[in-house]
Amino acid sequence: MSFLGYPRANGTAGIRNDVLVIPGGLVASKICDFVNGARTILTADSGSGRTKRDRETIARVLVGLGKNPNVAGVIVHGISLGSGYPELKPEALAAQIAETGKPVEVISSKQYPDVLHVIERGIRVAREMVRDASHIRREPFENGKLSIGVKCGRSDSTSGIAGNPVMGYLFDRIVESGGNAFFGETTEIIGAEHLLSKRAVSDEVAREIIRVTREIEERAKSCGEDIRTINPVPSNIAGGISTLEEKSLGAIEKAGTKLIQGVLKYAEAPRGKGLYFVDNWMSQLSIFLGYAAAGSTLTFYQVGGGGLLEDTLLSPSPTGVTPIVWTTANPNTFRAAGESIDFYSGTVIEGKETIEQAGERLFALVQQIASGSLTKTETINFQDPAQVYLLDSPF
Amino acid sequence: MSGKRALALNPKDNIAVAVENIQAAEEITVQTRGGESRSIRAVQNIPFGFKVALENIPEGQFVFKYGETIGRASRDIKIGEEVHIHNIKGVRVQGKGEKGERS
Repeated sequence: MSFLGYPRANGTAGIRNDVLVIPGGLVASKICDFVNGARTILTADSGSGRTKRDRETIARVLVGLGKNPNVAGVIVHGISLGSGYPELKPEALAAQIAETGKPVEVISSKQYPDVLHVIERGIRVAREMVRDASHIRREPFENGKLSIGVKCGRSDSTSGIAGNPVMGYLFDRIVESGGNAFFGETTEIIGAEHLLSKRAVSDEVAREIIRVTREIEERAKSCGEDIRTINPVPSNIAGGISTLEEKSLGAIEKAGTKLIQGVLKYAEAPRGKGLYFVDNWMSQLSIFLGYAAAGSTLTFYQVGGGGLLEDTLLSPSPTGVTPIVWTTANPNTFRAAGESIDFYSGTVIEGKETIEQAGERLFALVQQIASGSLTKTETINFQDPAQVYLLDSPF
Repeated sequence: MSGKRALALNPKDNIAVAVENIQAAEEITVQTRGGESRSIRAVQNIPFGFKVALENIPEGQFVFKYGETIGRASRDIKIGEEVHIHNIKGVRVQGKGEKGERS
């Protein structure tokens, strides 16, 4: 089985074909307002007053997003980026993105008398890039060219018994095909890290899984707050989840059964293929951005929603360039939020399908979406702000 | 097969998840992954998605789901009773905040 994707110069395959303008802000937004097919991200953090570690994370996100196979061409402008820090210089970002062989253009504000001229130049370049991208035709690729990332949220007991196991089946199929699959949310493996570490490809990776779990546990304690007042979150409890361990054991079901090849930092690209654990934050405004920067072309949000699902119209991707496939196994959630949810696996709870059957159905849907079929939230003209996962205090 | 359905995910589990709304005194058919099923009686309402005890669980004993511990009973739990935050507690990441002593 295979999908129809956009060939990129470095041998990767995109499932979308957009032009990306970075960093986010006034200039990028105005260019994208004018040009069909140009996209950006909305982030508030420019890197100004951030530690070197955090500035490097911001740079990694911007470079990774530019390198993403869903992106055909990139414009990097020199305005609103962190005050001239070397790692955030537009030329430095552009040079790394250009390693993929895709067109990258820097629009330096120094070349133009004012910001309106920068925007004008950006519009001209973006229109040309969009037209150039439109000449690229989709062609067949093996599923091993897919790279996916998952978050589970608004978790309830349907997540652990059906929604996440079906996602886990998809993860196994992608890994068997030779692709990449990412899962993360470090607070949500507390209580299940002993099971994950047994699935590590090496002792070193096993130790790394335990280390990042301990680190987040210590960080939670050092806040002086009982993490159990943060996680499980109130909607989890209202959905039948009682303890953090219970939430974690359900959460890791989404990672399937394959060996874990490594532990990655937020927005870090893997060195090889297969399943990776990402030491990231659970927020939907942050996690998908990180997966996209690590090279994911398709992301998944598996929801429970049994507790406190208030928003029945769910959001499109905040990354701009990677669609989100929304899934649920909760019949009530599917009824209430079906306008946004692409896939229902509650059939497993109802006894109508096995996990394998539902998983195969999801795998088939993935290949359709990878070949160009739109997800439900891709039809919504809205973009949430995205939040880079930063670890240090601002100064 | 009569009774309302609940799923036990692992043979080691001492709780099951209700996959229908269950009323007090109703019979529950507990299906274990792997095929076998047995019956217990609900002693109170168990809403869809919530847990029911499959045996008496004395205070301090571990509660198992997915074959793994999800916490300890914080009071004696009877077979057929709902199992949730009022009668079990997680054992990980215990900081301040237990029993209302938040700083």
